[in-house]
Amino acid sequence: MNQAKLDNVLILFLRLGAFLCFAGWTWVHFYWEGPYGIFLWQEKTYAFVSGFGISWDQFVGTGANDGLVQKWIARMAWLYLACTVLTLTVRNKSWLQMAALLGGSVLLTILSYAKYLASQRELPMFIEHGGQMLIPVLLVMAMVLGVRHRVTVVTAMIAFIMTFAGHGSYAVGLWPTPSNFYGMITVILQVEYGTAQAILYTVGLLDFLVCIGIFIPRFRCASALYAAIWGLLTAIARPVAGMSWSLHYWGADQFLHEALIRAPHFLIPLYLYFLWRVPRQAESVVKNPESLMKSPDMANPPPLAPSVLTDKQLKHNETL
Amino acid sequence: MNFLKYLTFCIGAFAIVNTAFAQSGNQGRSRDAILTIPEVEEKDIICFALYTVHDQTLKLTAQLYPIAEGETKTVRLEIEKDDTWVEVAQTTAIEPGWTAPFRVENWDDTQAHKYRVRHGKEATYKGVIRKNPVDKDEIIVAGFTGNSIRPGHGGDISRQDIIDNIKRVDADVLFFSGDQVYDHFKHYAAWLKFGRDFGEIIKDRPTLCLPDDHDVGQPNLWGESGKVSTLSGASDGGYARPGVYVQEVERAQTSHFPDPVDPRKIGQGIGVYFTNLNWGNIDFAILEDRKFKTGPAGRVPKQGPRPDHIRNPDYDPTSVDVEGAVLLGERQLEFLDQWAQDWRNADMKVALSQTIFCGGAHIHGNANGRLHADMDSNGWPQSGRNRALRALRKGFAFHYAGDQHLATIFHHGIEEHRDAIWSFCVPSIANLYLRWWEPLEPGLNREPGAPGYTGDHLDGFHNKVTNFAAANPEKNPAGKLLNTRSAGFGIVRLNTRTRHITMECWPRNVDITDPTTQQYTGWPRTISQFDNYNPPSWGKLGELTFNVEDPVVQLIDAKTNEILYTVRANGRTFNPGAPQGKRFIIKAGRDAPDQIIVEQAEAGDQARTIRL
Repeated sequence: MNQAKLDNVLILFLRLGAFLCFAGWTWVHFYWEGPYGIFLWQEKTYAFVSGFGISWDQFVGTGANDGLVQKWIARMAWLYLACTVLTLTVRNKSWLQMAALLGGSVLLTILSYAKYLASQRELPMFIEHGGQMLIPVLLVMAMVLGVRHRVTVVTAMIAFIMTFAGHGSYAVGLWPTPSNFYGMITVILQVEYGTAQAILYTVGLLDFLVCIGIFIPRFRCASALYAAIWGLLTAIARPVAGMSWSLHYWGADQFLHEALIRAPHFLIPLYLYFLWRVPRQAESVVKNPESLMKSPDMANPPPLAPSVLTDKQLKHNETL
Repeated sequence: MNFLKYLTFCIGAFAIVNTAFAQSGNQGRSRDAILTIPEVEEKDIICFALYTVHDQTLKLTAQLYPIAEGETKTVRLEIEKDDTWVEVAQTTAIEPGWTAPFRVENWDDTQAHKYRVRHGKEATYKGVIRKNPVDKDEIIVAGFTGNSIRPGHGGDISRQDIIDNIKRVDADVLFFSGDQVYDHFKHYAAWLKFGRDFGEIIKDRPTLCLPDDHDVGQPNLWGESGKVSTLSGASDGGYARPGVYVQEVERAQTSHFPDPVDPRKIGQGIGVYFTNLNWGNIDFAILEDRKFKTGPAGRVPKQGPRPDHIRNPDYDPTSVDVEGAVLLGERQLEFLDQWAQDWRNADMKVALSQTIFCGGAHIHGNANGRLHADMDSNGWPQSGRNRALRALRKGFAFHYAGDQHLATIFHHGIEEHRDAIWSFCVPSIANLYLRWWEPLEPGLNREPGAPGYTGDHLDGFHNKVTNFAAANPEKNPAGKLLNTRSAGFGIVRLNTRTRHITMECWPRNVDITDPTTQQYTGWPRTISQFDNYNPPSWGKLGELTFNVEDPVVQLIDAKTNEILYTVRANGRTFNPGAPQGKRFIIKAGRDAPDQIIVEQAEAGDQARTIRL
């Protein structure tokens, strides 16, 4: 595969990650409810809105009807749907669409913060949403700066580290391990608690190791590949463990979106893996891998493999 | 270097936003109640002890702080006899949880015994095993629920007022209906704190603690016979925490219960504890209304923003009463069927469980928010709820429960309003989560002058309920005050002489023996034991006069042979109630209904004299 095609594939990973993530959250907002209760269903928020002459019944509804809280939480679904569509339509110079996608990233950040508050401020809860919060930003960066630009790659690495360090913090027990971590392992692998505990601890350590591994040129490909596989497995573990023929819609409405919103957890590592995987023809001329890190275009330094660069990339590199 | 700058910027931005959004009521870990296990000296290693005595068997569980490596795990139980301490049992403290369960058979419950639990050479914990109070007319059962320790709503306020009041009324039994522990990960540490808070009253009287959802580490619980739950919120059914954690919780809280009547384990090696305790001629059924219950997610059509919440007031209640959905489960229903017929050494029957058999609140949340129906309540599944009530009313059982964070009195109905048992849901010790009973329409058939929220209603599942009291919290409760959030505890007085049941609902930090102290509005209320199965449409079969005191009477449908009820009459006369237009077989006996006394009784019959 030549670099241009590869770049398109890399963008496709980011686009797909953002699309699935937004699609999953759209479903949550449309079918279930966004996790903003922690902000809205409290006296202080009401005290604030009551200053605008809004009564309590208007704010939260009477039960026979919806209040502002329910209506606006439901309306958030449209914002997420718009972001989902934008992930498909956004192109290189669609500035408005890109700005809207960055707004989508803000939405995801607010959402992640709400989950963090709801978890009684467990830091990993916010941190592990890094991949989801940053995937729209990554897509925009890839469009504007280039899929191999230093800032794009560093942002992807931050998203990677946040996701896996957050997950690892829970898995090794730095913060209380969420119960469903054990549950999913127990159900899917049919193992006892002790084994599930050992597995979780091991994969938690590996979560941290791959965060370090992506800084070591020798291990970064393997780290990214492992993270992609593990990210995929943890994403699909939700529907695999929870869905059943005996449930309405086989439980798809309960569990499938759990996999979708986690798409960045495997697509960002996959992006990094393909970015860092040195093509065989280039391998022969790469004598000093360290230089890759020093180049502004971290994964594709032009002096090392000019033969595989496209005109567009050469032009792009000249502008740096 | 750039990477580090970028990372620093991100962390800084997060910190700023976090600070900006910080809410005074929820400042994270620093303000959470501290759940650390204190370092104690060897002599203080026994934290507290719980016990029950049933059928001449003493079961006592000592709760220990962690035993150091190399120290003995053997724990001894001694009884004082003639001023001498005599060892009656030994056991080994079980990890995890450091519980030391003792069992002593052939226990003489006709007199009180001083006991002490010992560990090593120094550690001693003393208490009293009471005599069975069969000679008392009134058995006092103190009821509690929701032991939050979070400071945000007064959970950090001392429980000394409760200790003092329980000592003042000298309660015979303590009943903690659930959520003794709210921490989902540190049950052991929280259980030790519970023991430090309540051990002073627990050590000297039979105590029953039913683990509820938070005790086993999840926000709601539909146990589904031990399934593993993987859905956030656990509404897919099953246990969210590992089976070993649940086992540890149940070992700590229930291993001193009388032996389970059907001890077969459920999934993940989790045990069962449903059984009965006979104390002071009151027969308590100890139920587990979560353990077998089906989870609603995916089983019922979605009716709201959560699988277990119904927000659509126009939904069809029958659509959620799905086939196969379980509440108590067959094993417990079989137990209740036997229990309702067994009146040996029993004048009255009381069912103890985590929560009440209806949707007992309309508005949920720390501020407000109307919810049409909540499947975490025992109002769902309706068929299971009705089966449970049918089983309980066969023994005229009074239902004592908690969990709702809202004290209520309900008279339940199945075919018609008020045709089943009464329930008393006690208030929370400290109220984490507010609820209000606030129907949109005033109730029918209210007592004169009673609030509009009382009277006959349909709950969110269209179950027939009649409310007699609700300790609704203030709409905007002030800060940390316990009582603006309707915190408190319940007292139930069971009078075996008059067969009256008196429900009392007390706020916190009052002296309940002071005549000027007010209970929550709607309390106290006294009912008769026989009100627990006295449908308004029934007639009377004619007064029966016996030649013995307090015979056991059983009514059987002459056509279907189904037992309608079994009860111990009060005195020598009893006028059985029964549906109009049907014929019944009446059986009776001194301690069991072993003799047919009337073959074809029907409503409106003349009085009869019966010789047993």
